[in-house]
Amino acid sequence: MAPEPSQNSVLVNPLATPDQLSTSGSQLDGVPASLETSVIHIGARLTQIAGVLLRLPQDLIAHAVVIFTRFWLGPESGSLCEYSIKHVCAAALYLTTKPSAHPKAPRSIINVLAYIEALGTVFFVQDDMDKNDPESYYVSEGTYFTERAQLTKVESIILRVLGFNTHVALPYTICINYLQTLGVFDDDSGSELAKRAWAHLNSALLSPQLLFVTHQPPCLATAAIYLAAKEVGVKLPSEQWWEVFDTDREELGFLVVAMLSMEGFLREEKQNWAGKRMPYTLDVVEQEIKALTDNS
Amino acid sequence: MTGSKSRWADDEADKEARRREKEEKKRAKLAKQKRQEEEAQKTAEAATARAQEEISRPAKRRRISNDDSNENDVKHIKSDSGSAPLLRFPTTGWSPSRNVSNFESLNHIEEGSYGWVSRAKETATGEIVALKKMKMDTSSGQGFPVDALREIQILSSAKHRHIVDLREVVVGDKPDDVYLVMQFLEHDLKTLQEEMAEPFLPSEIKTLLLQIVAGVEFLHDNWILHRDLKTSNILMNNRGEIKLADFGMARQFSDPPPANLTQLVVTLWYRAPELLFGTSKYGTAIDMWSIGCIFGELVRKEPLLQGRNEVDQLRRIFLLVGTPDEDSWPGFRRLAGASALKLMKNSPGAGKGSLRAQFPLLTSAGASLLAALLSLNPDDRPSAQEVLSDPYFLEAPRPKTTAMFPTFPSKAGGEKRRRVASPNAPQRGQAPKINMEELSGIFSRKEGEEVGAGFALRMA
Repeated sequence: MAPEPSQNSVLVNPLATPDQLSTSGSQLDGVPASLETSVIHIGARLTQIAGVLLRLPQDLIAHAVVIFTRFWLGPESGSLCEYSIKHVCAAALYLTTKPSAHPKAPRSIINVLAYIEALGTVFFVQDDMDKNDPESYYVSEGTYFTERAQLTKVESIILRVLGFNTHVALPYTICINYLQTLGVFDDDSGSELAKRAWAHLNSALLSPQLLFVTHQPPCLATAAIYLAAKEVGVKLPSEQWWEVFDTDREELGFLVVAMLSMEGFLREEKQNWAGKRMPYTLDVVEQEIKALTDNS
Repeated sequence: MTGSKSRWADDEADKEARRREKEEKKRAKLAKQKRQEEEAQKTAEAATARAQEEISRPAKRRRISNDDSNENDVKHIKSDSGSAPLLRFPTTGWSPSRNVSNFESLNHIEEGSYGWVSRAKETATGEIVALKKMKMDTSSGQGFPVDALREIQILSSAKHRHIVDLREVVVGDKPDDVYLVMQFLEHDLKTLQEEMAEPFLPSEIKTLLLQIVAGVEFLHDNWILHRDLKTSNILMNNRGEIKLADFGMARQFSDPPPANLTQLVVTLWYRAPELLFGTSKYGTAIDMWSIGCIFGELVRKEPLLQGRNEVDQLRRIFLLVGTPDEDSWPGFRRLAGASALKLMKNSPGAGKGSLRAQFPLLTSAGASLLAALLSLNPDDRPSAQEVLSDPYFLEAPRPKTTAMFPTFPSKAGGEKRRRVASPNAPQRGQAPKINMEELSGIFSRKEGEEVGAGFALRMA
């Protein structure tokens, strides 16, 4: 009775197929691709921030962000014209935490999202978080019930779009394993390197190339370590050590460049959305589509 | 007609136009995407070239030892530099749930606490599957039930020959209609035992038990507690192969155990004493207790501990295996429900229990395995792995190979045992007279038969 490989191992993530990457429900509904990328990025950020405010561990937050991202991919997926990122974000967080060791009540999630919405932007620095005007994010009982109904409705739609496959494998744990294998923790710079690599993984989670749904965890972890080691100045083996972690040179190169491009992308996004309303709801998305099509 | 999204324009022609428009858009998008992809590839190539400049080429090639035993599961591919084989696991993806109308319901099997199960046929392939409709409680406002979510997640991650295979999850038109498509097995052990005239043979019991424990070992190795092992959740096919089913109570656990474990798990007759005493921290030992109950049930052909309620269940447990004390189960008095137990100390039921006397036909190895599984102290129960190497399975009679298993009519498959109604022995009294008319007629039809070459053709 030999053990059979588990289909959903911690090393293997269900990845988006080329077909799912090339067509999306939003594009079929006429959302320009650039706007789609931008709005999904903001949704992913919204999920990350809400997760932090809900005091969730980062692996659960990342799980929710991946579920959020998958929802928009493929011809039969959710469309930005049909579902608002705020509701999908709430449902993804609810769905992910429910069976975990850190379940969150719909009320907590709805309150936290109302708070972030009141801040006016997801591109903020820490100081903005301290702004406290309870009037602006008070959720009345009536609003709560309609929001909760939306949340459970979108939850069941997410499950249907994903075919009830909510398995997510993440690179965080194996990133630490790999660093241990490379023996970097013998040195003081080891923990700095680990923090840097971890930070790269966290930004890759929000990347416009959707790295977490297109690349397997070992490759993501390896690329984050490679880039972090260059930045922190830790010397790694001169051999092709990434092959030990099942990453080939080409994929490593692509991931490193993608991770490096995050900074520019974020700067541009922040600039583009400066002074505008965040596309949390359908009407803002519609306005943006209109503005874009009028300009062209 | 420009396929505008008016909610009033809903006639067929309009739908058709919209569909065509959507498809055209999709095609255009695909072509555009292809162009973009080509461009992206060019940039990516340039990027890789740049990255490669950064990477100093290695002087020595690194060799990685090759694990040949995994060859079937994992593909080795050559990396572009041709230096080392890389491991590639088969990647999976996701796709939207199909509709339940792809299946045709054949017959109803059972209604469990977590849903209705029926036998169904996939219309396209003709394959027979078990279709389980999930029970939804939407009134609570909690959305998709957490038990159902766990069942789906655990079943789709636990692929093993002794765990029922979840093929896919299909949905109906209403948001509450969610069905699990699982492989169909002819029997469950409970119904089968109720229908059988004789209990399983000792060799058969060993085979069944080994398979059950192998399934549980896999679950525990993967940090999954089943939490509802019982004969009605253990399925068997006509080749004597066992698969564990109904993961509606299952959940992932950890060491130390997660804080939010619920106490109300496992069907009463199979519930471990620590759960009855209300422990909030439990582990794999609760599944092992259930296995002990199943072992006893297989030998006796009826459930071992049929308590009417929690207290009665405890009483029956103590009658069978004796009462606990601080030596045999250190710390049990600290459990929430155990403080009231003082009364039982001098009661006539207290003592060593009657396990050995109740199973006179079991060998001593079998009896000690059963006693170990039914240890009151959870720490004394063997792990699944230890059970698999128990001497009981090595002594004669050896476990029967599954190929040699007898077959039974499948109740779930709608088959019935053919009962040949044999006549009873003659009753006292006057012997019935033979009807002379009937007797003279028994060969009467023969005259009408034509005799042919080698066979007789009867004329109606």
